[in-house]
Amino acid sequence: MVGPTASLSILSRADGSASLKCPTTGYNVLGSVNAPIELPARRDALKPEEATVEVFVKPGNTTAGVGERYVEGILRSVLQKVILGRERGFPRRGVVITLAIIGGDAVERGDSYLNILPTLLQVSLLALLSAAVPMSMTFSTALLGVTKSGDIICNPSAAEAKAASSLHVLAFSSKGHLLLDESQGRFEFEQWESVRERAFSICRGMATPGADGDVTMGDGGDEARINGFICETVEDHLHRDYSWKIDSA
Amino acid sequence: MSAPLILLPGDEVPSDHLPSNNSNPLKLGPGLRLLSQPSSKPDATSHVLTATQAGLVTTDAKRNTVSILSFPNRRYIPTVNDLVIAQIHHSSIDYFHCMVTPHTAHALLGQLSFEGATKKTRPMLKQGELVYARVLSVGVGAGAEVELTCVNPATGKSEPGGLGPLVGGMVFEVSTGMAARLIRASSSSAEQGDVIDGLAVLSELGKKLESLGGFEIAVGRNGKVWVDCSNAGDSAIKATIAIGRCLQTTDDKRLNPVDQKKLVTRILREMKLA
Repeated sequence: MVGPTASLSILSRADGSASLKCPTTGYNVLGSVNAPIELPARRDALKPEEATVEVFVKPGNTTAGVGERYVEGILRSVLQKVILGRERGFPRRGVVITLAIIGGDAVERGDSYLNILPTLLQVSLLALLSAAVPMSMTFSTALLGVTKSGDIICNPSAAEAKAASSLHVLAFSSKGHLLLDESQGRFEFEQWESVRERAFSICRGMATPGADGDVTMGDGGDEARINGFICETVEDHLHRDYSWKIDSA
Repeated sequence: MSAPLILLPGDEVPSDHLPSNNSNPLKLGPGLRLLSQPSSKPDATSHVLTATQAGLVTTDAKRNTVSILSFPNRRYIPTVNDLVIAQIHHSSIDYFHCMVTPHTAHALLGQLSFEGATKKTRPMLKQGELVYARVLSVGVGAGAEVELTCVNPATGKSEPGGLGPLVGGMVFEVSTGMAARLIRASSSSAEQGDVIDGLAVLSELGKKLESLGGFEIAVGRNGKVWVDCSNAGDSAIKATIAIGRCLQTTDDKRLNPVDQKKLVTRILREMKLA
């Protein structure tokens, strides 16, 4: 399987930026982060001791509508938990995340936004890392579909997602906790449980602790381990940025 | 020196990477925080250091510090005692309101915080003019104002030298990481030879442009570099642009010292200065 490709710090005027191309779903998303900046209208926000997180999703070929507002809400609630808004320089300032969908099938009005949600989350994480926004942890996401025959497919294409009986987006933190669970369609609880296990092995690519304390090895063999992919992308970039320091040591 | 260690937010700093100097307490630099870890015993809590930013762990055994070097293109967050290049936005009775980084609240610079300034002899700075200033305070609590100064309040002198209005010259933007390296390179250039922090570009430019009368440079931690070559006569503008291009290309392309020297030679030839 071809893994996703990402690049970091590609925009010179933004504080942090990233782009991610997912080959199976075909989505290409460009994200930029500006933080901490002044939000003139929000000087007396609801939480005056914390930073305000703002997320904007912009489709490449149309104006943002209800679907984008909905997905912005999901992104904001996940990212707000991860960003440490009380660190120095951040209280009463804004963290503005702009995500532009620059490639892949357009999400028609009324269509499901779950297809693209994992890519959007991944890009915003990479862009936040590249802007050096303080965070308590990182996370990784997976998109899974359950077909009518009950098979679980990972990263379904747009057509496969339409035909699937249910779609699931799960995000796991770098500590292994479940951060986000968005599902749609009809599914049984046992199905969801097996989806969760599969998603965990895709995201973390490591042992899943069983109920009895035993450790069963995840089948992360040929599937891209999303967590490792994020680490590698960031480490590669930092190695190049600090080659002057690493080489001289 | 052990292998370079790169951490992501939430990762713990392994204890064998911490400096082993026990004479003074360990100081945490940016990008790290101390968390207490609940343990099985009720009254015994252990502490762990975790990263809050992705970056390279650096330690200084002499000063017993550990910090995270994050991405160099990040936004500048004012810190006390940093030197910055600020632009005057407008002035009020007591203060000049200055811009340090875009889209943030203005920093305040007292009308009398200049060397030898009194109510009658204070600099009349206009909108858009530049000052080289030190961050005096960043305030306490959320959303506090940043205050700048061009004078040491204890002595009344502009310490370290060169603080005050920047007249003439031109400002170039570089990344904040590059600005920090340039400051270290220009402050310790005399004793340590040509290459400091992997930067040879400044000393090379200094050698090549000596015949033109040299140049003046001021580096702000907020990612701005002010360059002035007013001694160079007719080629002053060309030399200023050449220096700015050398610094920006070194930053963008992450050049090593050998390539930096080649770049200086190439740009000076293109600008017909060498």
